[in-house]
Amino acid sequence: MNLTTVAVKNIARNRGRTLLTIVGVTVAILAFVLLRTLLWSWTAAIEQSASDRIGVRHKVTFIMPLPKKYVDEIRQIPGVKAAAYANWFGAKDPKDEGRDFFATMAVEPEELLTVYDEFLVKPAEVEAWKQNRRGALVGDMLAKKKGWKIGDKVVLSGTIFPGEWQFEISGIYTAKRATVDRNSFYFQWKYLNESLPPARQDKVGWVSARIGDAGRSAEICRAIDAKFDDRDVQTLCMSEKAMQASFMGMMSAILKAIDIVSIVILLIMMLVLGNTIAMGVRERTTEYGTLRAIGFVPRHIVLFVVGESLFTSALGGAIGVAVAYPIVNLGIGRYLEENWGQFFAIFRVQPPIALAAFGLALLLGGLAAIIPAYGTTRLNTVAALRRIG
Amino acid sequence: MSESKNGNGAAMIRLEKVGKTFYRSKEPLEVLKGIDLDIPEGAFEALMGPSGSGKSTLLNLIAGLDQPSAGRLTVAGADVGGMNESERAKWRASNIGFVFQTYNLMPVLTALENVELPLLLAKLPSAERKKRAEIALRVVGLDQRGDHLPRQLSGGQEQRVAIARAIVADPKIIVADEPTGDLDRESANDILNLLEKLNKEFNKTIVMVTHDPAAAERANIVRRLDKGNLV
Repeated sequence: MNLTTVAVKNIARNRGRTLLTIVGVTVAILAFVLLRTLLWSWTAAIEQSASDRIGVRHKVTFIMPLPKKYVDEIRQIPGVKAAAYANWFGAKDPKDEGRDFFATMAVEPEELLTVYDEFLVKPAEVEAWKQNRRGALVGDMLAKKKGWKIGDKVVLSGTIFPGEWQFEISGIYTAKRATVDRNSFYFQWKYLNESLPPARQDKVGWVSARIGDAGRSAEICRAIDAKFDDRDVQTLCMSEKAMQASFMGMMSAILKAIDIVSIVILLIMMLVLGNTIAMGVRERTTEYGTLRAIGFVPRHIVLFVVGESLFTSALGGAIGVAVAYPIVNLGIGRYLEENWGQFFAIFRVQPPIALAAFGLALLLGGLAAIIPAYGTTRLNTVAALRRIG
Repeated sequence: MSESKNGNGAAMIRLEKVGKTFYRSKEPLEVLKGIDLDIPEGAFEALMGPSGSGKSTLLNLIAGLDQPSAGRLTVAGADVGGMNESERAKWRASNIGFVFQTYNLMPVLTALENVELPLLLAKLPSAERKKRAEIALRVVGLDQRGDHLPRQLSGGQEQRVAIARAIVADPKIIVADEPTGDLDRESANDILNLLEKLNKEFNKTIVMVTHDPAAAERANIVRRLDKGNLV
């Protein structure tokens, strides 16, 4: 037997309470990992945006369109290699009453696949899509979920553009990069444009352009904005990263709230752990008095208290991190990637998050023990021995 | 009043004009008043007196758990009154064995582990610690119960384990605070027999606080305290 044996046996004294505390820490760490992974996933798309791609939108807001003729003018700006355009369509599948959300966009096929060269599509499918006015290119995850195959006829209900819209699956894309959303539905912009009343025709939601030199993105953007500065509709051009960030900026309050909640969860964990340790210390006052009487010094008692707290938090933290991997990577993460890929293209536990979670569990375990441990150093041995229970 | 049956040798415990005053809301409460007392090596002394007479306070001073407010206290050749808490803890570990009324065993440790506990403070190899703990358990007649937890033992057996814990580091002095207070007569007699054995065969100096006249009868000397004075 040694001092560690005594400490370990003390931890196992009230197994029910220790187990519940460990479960509490586990749940807190799991929640922390989940929320931090969500934050990471949300911002990962920004970090992994192509540096040689810029986005151009209406200066006022995303939801106001640009004249289509701007696309050709943007292509003429020095430094721009290619430009693609898109309209957010916002359709839903009437078969599931729109429960399964997926992005639907009207695009020009050739330019889309030039600007977004991370898309992987068989050439024959690209050709088929180009030739078919109602053709659609869908992500492999979406196709798998919906059971769509090449040649399938699909009907979607328009929300922004009402009506029943007929499509035919021409191609299924995968991607070179994991951050690309494989849950989207692209169809020919011409099909949308021709179906609209004249007043709504020839408008695009935004323009994405590939530039020759990533280092010149700011300069090129200034040139684009300057070009349309004296028009009725002015533009706001920014790098893809900035564009993603500005889109995410609309969610900044939610992201901040998630950030705060993840920290609050850990603080609650610390208070629960601290209370458990304090209860244990109160119950063992007489024992600590006895140990002090037979020659143990406050340092020994502090080690017992801090050791118990660290052990509990470390075990709970380790289990929390361990269970987070299958729960997130195989469960929640897979669901979000398959169903909400446009927001969470990659939803996997990142090792730095797991490490931080475990480290914080240990740190907070140590902090939780400070007050109870300090109390034991102030223990009056005679008073402790007199105390019953 | 003191009744001396036995006890000789040099003073193991010497109190010179020792006083102890507690403060409650800044109000002084003089619990011990200028006690002069010599307890020789190898003595078995009992301290008796009504509640609040100061006997437990006196025992705590002798054991180095508390410090006197006045006077000089020398135990086993050391000026205990002049030591700080850390020095007293170290001193207690090698000089004092404690026996409490409620045994105060650690419930999560086996009898053998409880006995071994004080030896964790000594720089001894694990095997040596275990061997000494087994010997101490044998002395108290519980060598077959080493792997039992306190809850698996009777009150008398628990107190014997506590006595084994008190002697395992081979202290010169054993202080016992109502060691039979929670026991039936038969178990109490076993404990008193054991204390007598430790006194006579192992020459331990024993100071015992008790309310029980039958227990006090076993001591060589019975000292009585009343209102902080030896009478």
